[in-house]
Amino acid sequence: MSAETKELEEKLVKELQAGKIEAFDEIVNLFQRKIYSLSFNLTRNQMDAQDVTQEVLLTIFKKVDTFQWKSAFSSWVYRITINASYMKLRGRKKDQYVSMDDALPVFNGSGYQKEKIQDWSEQTDSPLFVNETKEIIEKAVEQLPEKEKVVFLLRDVDGLSTERVGEILELSVPAVKSRLHRARLFLRKKLSIYFDEYHSRQEQKK
Amino acid sequence: MICCKECIDLLYSYLEGELDGKVAGSLEEHFQDCPPCIAFLNTYKTTTRLCRETLNQEKIPDIVQVKLKEFIDTNIKKHK
Repeated sequence: MSAETKELEEKLVKELQAGKIEAFDEIVNLFQRKIYSLSFNLTRNQMDAQDVTQEVLLTIFKKVDTFQWKSAFSSWVYRITINASYMKLRGRKKDQYVSMDDALPVFNGSGYQKEKIQDWSEQTDSPLFVNETKEIIEKAVEQLPEKEKVVFLLRDVDGLSTERVGEILELSVPAVKSRLHRARLFLRKKLSIYFDEYHSRQEQKK
Repeated sequence: MICCKECIDLLYSYLEGELDGKVAGSLEEHFQDCPPCIAFLNTYKTTTRLCRETLNQEKIPDIVQVKLKEFIDTNIKKHK
């Protein structure tokens, strides 16, 4: 978060706390997309994300007086967004249990890679992939365990610093880093499987 | 020389520029002799970039935007 954003955020929150309702509109403009997209990426459901956004905006309005600056205001907003999204997920049936370990790299006894690693990093710009890749990524992220998913969304998608993610989730910086690394390994594996399959389909066509 | 496992364990810190020179050096030495780890490094980086580009595009759909405005007008503005 840039210094100006932080300053603006603090100014608006103090104005709202002092009873200046107009500041609320600006707070809405500043946060509604962040709230919606985090909630959508957590729930993958437009209706749920809409509910969560409404709920969070209402909470900001009603509870802004109780906000005490123990953390950044936006950290508080992210936290209530995550909690409200989790409440939505609670009633939902879990699709399937996906083991994180299956997606981690496999080594032999001396610590060398056992799998054949294809380098598909140069092929992702092909127009053939664009649509499919989006779907594959969304599906892979959906399969991430919650702990890793939320860290990944805040840090890699929203671009917050590791320190801020730690503040929001009340985790140590090393814990944030380790979850993020696991999330990236998991997603890399899912994308690799997809690109491998794509190549064997191409081979068969030949 | 470090092995692939150590190399991949250190990948995150390496990309963040958090490793000290000596450790980063031994990692790069490993990369020179290990095409699978280079492929791993490249695809790890690409994964992060692709996921960010794909998911941070999420905008509020127009219909939701309308509903949100209605909600704010009826539930929040009435407090004015």
